[in-house]
Amino acid sequence: MSNFARGTRQALTIARRDFVATVFAPTFLLFLLTPVFMIGLGIAGGYSAASVSSGGAEKAVIVAIAPADRAAPLIAVDTQMRLLFPPHGENARPALRIEVPERDMAAQARSLFARGDMDVQAVLYGPLEHPQILRGALASGEATYLAQLAEQTLRAEKAGGTTQLSDAEITVFARDQTSSGGRRQVAYFASLGLFLMTLMLSGQAVGAMAEERSNKVIEVLAAAVPLESVFFGKLLGAFGSAVLFIGFWGALLLNLPRLMPPDATSRFAEFGAAVGPVFPLLFVAYFTMAYMLLSAVFLGIGALASTQREIQLLSFPITILQFAVFGFATFGAARPDSWIATATQIFPLSSPIAMAARAAYSPELWPHALALGWQALWVAITVTIAARMFRRGVLKSGSPRRRAKKTASA
Amino acid sequence: MMWQRRDQVLSSALAVSATGLVKRFGDRRVVDGVSIAVPKGMIYGVLGPNGAGKTTTLRMLLGIIEPDEGQRMLLGRERPREASDLVGYLPEERGLYPSMKCREAIAFMGALRGLPWTVGRKRALDLLEGAGLGHAADEKIRKLSKGMAQLVQLLGSVVHEPELLVLDEPFSGLDPVNQERLESLIQAQRDRGATILFSTHVMAHAERLCDRLSIIAGGKVKFEGTVDDALGVLPHQAHYTPHHNADGLEALLPADAERENGSWRFAVPNEGIEALLVKLIDAGHGISGLSIERPKLHDVFVRIVGRQALEGAEA
Repeated sequence: MSNFARGTRQALTIARRDFVATVFAPTFLLFLLTPVFMIGLGIAGGYSAASVSSGGAEKAVIVAIAPADRAAPLIAVDTQMRLLFPPHGENARPALRIEVPERDMAAQARSLFARGDMDVQAVLYGPLEHPQILRGALASGEATYLAQLAEQTLRAEKAGGTTQLSDAEITVFARDQTSSGGRRQVAYFASLGLFLMTLMLSGQAVGAMAEERSNKVIEVLAAAVPLESVFFGKLLGAFGSAVLFIGFWGALLLNLPRLMPPDATSRFAEFGAAVGPVFPLLFVAYFTMAYMLLSAVFLGIGALASTQREIQLLSFPITILQFAVFGFATFGAARPDSWIATATQIFPLSSPIAMAARAAYSPELWPHALALGWQALWVAITVTIAARMFRRGVLKSGSPRRRAKKTASA
Repeated sequence: MMWQRRDQVLSSALAVSATGLVKRFGDRRVVDGVSIAVPKGMIYGVLGPNGAGKTTTLRMLLGIIEPDEGQRMLLGRERPREASDLVGYLPEERGLYPSMKCREAIAFMGALRGLPWTVGRKRALDLLEGAGLGHAADEKIRKLSKGMAQLVQLLGSVVHEPELLVLDEPFSGLDPVNQERLESLIQAQRDRGATILFSTHVMAHAERLCDRLSIIAGGKVKFEGTVDDALGVLPHQAHYTPHHNADGLEALLPADAERENGSWRFAVPNEGIEALLVKLIDAGHGISGLSIERPKLHDVFVRIVGRQALEGAEA
């Protein structure tokens, strides 16, 4: 049996042990259901934030101080202009309120901002030909809206009224191919998906060698198996449980469209990747590489830690590293033809995320074959370096041949 | 070329050979030029006090750590890793996964050495039953006593029927009953044709089991040979009890004679003890008791490594 075949067999033996030990432990169920808790917390947090935000939005108003004969045209034009904005959310415009002018309109406008029963964003007063607009510091959009409201009201009056003159017919057109905007969205979500999955799953590798070190099993393994195979085995075992996790949630997500209303799925028609149907396969391949690369780095660092406390301390810088890699990759993905994009695709840690994004907006396949080979090479290099560091740092074993050669040449 | 061929012929008769192994930890030479040759099919003991360099030597022989200097051959391979499927190893620091069942743990250790899981599980059951642990086959390791876990690990190191079995301090932590079981198991492995290399600082086990042995102290080999060779290092000891402990008796006895209550202990002179006995009788001291004892390996060990080192070992 060749060394490679033996090493592979030994790595698979260790992977099998780790996979079984992880998956058949009661805590794995907790791990598998982690997204439920995350989604639950997200919904609860989102609902609370929405309640607070909508409470504020409901009270927000823009005010026009105008005589009674101007109220009707102002309201009619406001109704037409409001169609340009979404009714809810960040870009919605606050409701319009008409106030009867008092003698000192400037003072009246200022006093409106002090009212407790409404949250005044901006106030228009004076003649519509030269309106005065008073606004809060964050209400530039609302002020512009009021300025346009005055302009369009005057125009409508000059045109003879605010009655709608045209009746447009709108038809939804289904494209034959994905839009560039859709591809950008896919690139973003692919990067984000890879990042979130590796953030959630690869960090576990930090403590993967802790069990062997605390139970002294490492001596048994090191005697029977090359350390590179031990490390690869541990990576594969952890990857197996990660795949199980993703398989479980992936199956649920794939069946999600069945639960959605039919017209909801048509919204995704413009989403797609430039490489076509190969994209899911590439996504899986890049997830594998991202997971293996980051896990190999974490496994190597974690293997050198001698206590649980050290492992816990490592968690924070590791998370920061992952965020930095994600930031770098998405920065490059937003500038597809720049040298930064190329750099993110070459730099091993960001390469899987950057290449997944590239698959979304560029149809060429050969760069992916090259990138996957490059990333696999770096997985091997990282594992080899990690094993060497472990051998030197923990097993206290040096490299005799190099030293012997140096002595000989001296 | 001819030398190389001769080396190959010699090495084919040896399960383990090493020359001039050196290992430094910092500035300290923990192993300092150890050479060792373990013929196939033998039980070979590496004896030495704590800190003598036994474990480091074994770890270098197995390829767990690399020597700084020297060469080694394991079952005819220069790279120990290439022979790993033919070797069984019980490290000094015992280690098993606590969540594994005994049977699985043994099969796992076999699988690491190339034994298929199904075969490993079957053999594990046979081995456990043979060792009187059949009832614990499906028990998790964490539920076993320390001694039982140690036996399970030992079974894991032989499940793939290795050609070479390396045991580092195998008897430590075992009660007398399990020590006897372990001795039987080691002998059974030798009877199967395996070579056994084990380290210990307990002389009684080495004396009963070893065909050949090395005594290591301070990282160096102080003695290498058979047990009989080792025992030949010291002369036989005479234990003499006179009728009368009168004046002048000490002058007649050899210079190394030591008094123990009413008796005397001394090394039997090279020319024999008969002439001395005649002198003692003629001088009227008489003979109340006389025994000639073969020296024990313990005595040889003390002589070779020094009493101070031994006290450190036994502490």
